[in-house]
Amino acid sequence: MNPSFHDQHDFCSDHGGEHPTVWDLPHVPLALKKEWLELETRRHFLGRGAKALGWAGLATILGRSAPQLLANAAAPEPGAMPTFVPHYAPKAKRAIYLFMAGAPSQFETWDYKPALADMFDKDLPESVRGGQVLTGMTASQARLPIAPSMYKFAQQGKAGHWVSELFPYTAKISDELCVIKSLHTDAINHEPAILQITTGNMFPGRPSIGAWLSYGLGAVNEELPTFVVMTSKMPIRANVQALSNRLWSSGFLSPEHAAVALRAGSDPVLYINNPKGVDGDLRRAMINGVTDLNRQLFERVGDPEINARIAQYEMAFRMQTSVPELTDFSDEPAATWDLYGPKAKEPGTFAYNCLMARRLAERGVRFTQVFLRSWDNHNNLPNNIKALAEDSDQPTAGLITDLKQRGLLDDTVVIWGGEFGRTVYSQGTLRPDNYGRDHHPRCFSMWMAGGGVKPGISFGETDDFSYNITRDPVHIRDLHATVMHLFGIDHNKLTFKFQGLDQKLTGVLPAKVIDGILA
Amino acid sequence: MAFSHNVKFFLAALLTATSASTAFSAEPALFEARVAPILEEHCVECHGPEKHKGKLRLDSFEALIVGGESDEVVTAGDPKASELFRRITLPETDEDVMPSDGKPHLSSNEIKVIELWIAGGASPTKRVGEFAGLPPPKAPKPPYVPLTPDWRPHAAELTALANSLHVRLVPRSRIATDGLVLRTASAPGRCDDAVLAKLARFAPFIAEAELARTKVTDEGVAILGTFENLVSVDLTRTKVTAKGLAALAQSKKLQSVNLTNTAVDDAAVAPLRAAHSIKRLWLFGTKATAFEAPVTAVAGEL
Repeated sequence: MNPSFHDQHDFCSDHGGEHPTVWDLPHVPLALKKEWLELETRRHFLGRGAKALGWAGLATILGRSAPQLLANAAAPEPGAMPTFVPHYAPKAKRAIYLFMAGAPSQFETWDYKPALADMFDKDLPESVRGGQVLTGMTASQARLPIAPSMYKFAQQGKAGHWVSELFPYTAKISDELCVIKSLHTDAINHEPAILQITTGNMFPGRPSIGAWLSYGLGAVNEELPTFVVMTSKMPIRANVQALSNRLWSSGFLSPEHAAVALRAGSDPVLYINNPKGVDGDLRRAMINGVTDLNRQLFERVGDPEINARIAQYEMAFRMQTSVPELTDFSDEPAATWDLYGPKAKEPGTFAYNCLMARRLAERGVRFTQVFLRSWDNHNNLPNNIKALAEDSDQPTAGLITDLKQRGLLDDTVVIWGGEFGRTVYSQGTLRPDNYGRDHHPRCFSMWMAGGGVKPGISFGETDDFSYNITRDPVHIRDLHATVMHLFGIDHNKLTFKFQGLDQKLTGVLPAKVIDGILA
Repeated sequence: MAFSHNVKFFLAALLTATSASTAFSAEPALFEARVAPILEEHCVECHGPEKHKGKLRLDSFEALIVGGESDEVVTAGDPKASELFRRITLPETDEDVMPSDGKPHLSSNEIKVIELWIAGGASPTKRVGEFAGLPPPKAPKPPYVPLTPDWRPHAAELTALANSLHVRLVPRSRIATDGLVLRTASAPGRCDDAVLAKLARFAPFIAEAELARTKVTDEGVAILGTFENLVSVDLTRTKVTAKGLAALAQSKKLQSVNLTNTAVDDAAVAPLRAAHSIKRLWLFGTKATAFEAPVTAVAGEL
């Protein structure tokens, strides 16, 4: 083997087994391989050069740590580069998204429908359904009998929101909430629907909201991930839907924008603790060595993924210090446990995760998403939803209260909701005290609070059956455009070139900022 | 037939316009006051002097009434028969919907104004007061007031200084006169009074100071009091006391101060309360208790 060729083209750094490149192909003439290398390097180089001239100069240098800056500086498409500077001064610096996976029923939560009380077991009028295709789970039912909510509602606070008796704690802070009753989505089943609301697209492989924010705005605290996800212990295990990291992935964006999933227990981030016999200095020296090798490789081939890898090593190293401090709740005053409830001491519960979300917000983490599952109540809905409400009501209200008293609610937007709604008619046997509800994409309810959202208002309306929207529909895309807007981002302008398209969170169909809910 | 109707209508409109223009009235015409601005905002980019897609222009009443290549777009008195109205009320996913290409659609209030205008005869002169059920006009946007001087000429110096002090200076927005955020969350332990003293040279550019958990004391907070364009300061878990706050209250534009988990009490906070620019004062975990006026937005109360 020609030694000079080996020197020049041994691309193996610390990583083995990654996908093959042209260099790995047999029978390709060397001249062709070299031409490919030149083209690749030239493409990356051009991207880098154009970026350096762009507006981004100061912002990227100021806003990101050195390794992240490197990663950014090498992004391949100058037209798609983020500048880490919002288009306009933001209202929200952070978001906490309480994701109720499985799709909570709007009837027992936020869309009060008193007229249904007199329609128990009546058939849903065909005119209301309007020929809508139902899921396989209820399409074959002989009847679609109306199931009124078993739970009572009362008006609360100055805003007068109708709040379900399932949420006594949330009722007390309901003046902070903007309740949107007119969300709608395109998908009728969980996986496409949950992908659409977390990533803007029903197909897997797109960056989620938090990844877009990380890409567009960068970190506030470079010692912690920009985007954190936590899944919660379930108070009941009924109709559990799977969660997977494609809901919080970076998609086609650089991998550093994906969420770090914090786990419950003594080891919140896997593999960041040093093994026995390795101390901090040795670990630092090792990472420095690997980074040097990676930098050399980057200089030769210009692949931005290499810098993403450098950034990941650095982030892991920094989390060795920042995560233990974050997860040590011993500095919390006694009042914290009254506020979030006793379960907040038990790692992995929804209450614990809510408290963790506040601690992350305090430390500057941009986007925290807490998942609570089991809301997919096809049967035994009254009992299951009660258990879920009991588990989540106090910590949810506690989180809002705590953010507000600490001055964080002003610039932290809190979002509560699932992936679609549920049907007015019962799935399976209907009894006054028990029933189920099937999936319903045409309307569902969510609430938002803080971060530039108008408090104490209700937005959008549905018909008496909460089947069709009658006023101010809000598509998932509009919700996404609005969240971006709160962060100071024009959703049409935060793009990333991929597969020949300027990709964006809101996709190619029209999306609008919901002006009516802005403070 | 459409043509003759169009001509008749146009003549009638002209006559009305002529006669009305001689009459004095303080109240503006609906077209001028409400309809034209909506067309200007949503339509004229593609149907105006530069582009006139479909040979349609909507930048004047006369052009609007003439219509485009496929006929007139407004049928006076009948919104439902008017192509203009039909296009703006199609479902968002319809390929004929206007504005096209994913541009923002008209709000329900804007659509209502156009509907009422057409239903009322699509007149160029009919007064606002002659229309019942008009949605209230949008509050005019307050004019933009620069908060700070443009920091861009100093970008290199600012970058070097921030890096040397282990803090970040981040633009608040792409408007360079929105100023900079002083950000310390990555290494609050490295930010102390000396850092603020060194930043003072660039004080006019700094609009927000995020100093939670830093080592800043009264001395540093007093320096902040000289930052003339500061609107927001977070001093959560710092050692600030009455002395620092008295000096901080001198900053004329200060709107928001977070004192969560500091040792301040009511007496210490008094100068901030008295400062008329203050809108938000956060006092959770302090000995200060009362949240009454003149602080307009109350902290920690639910």
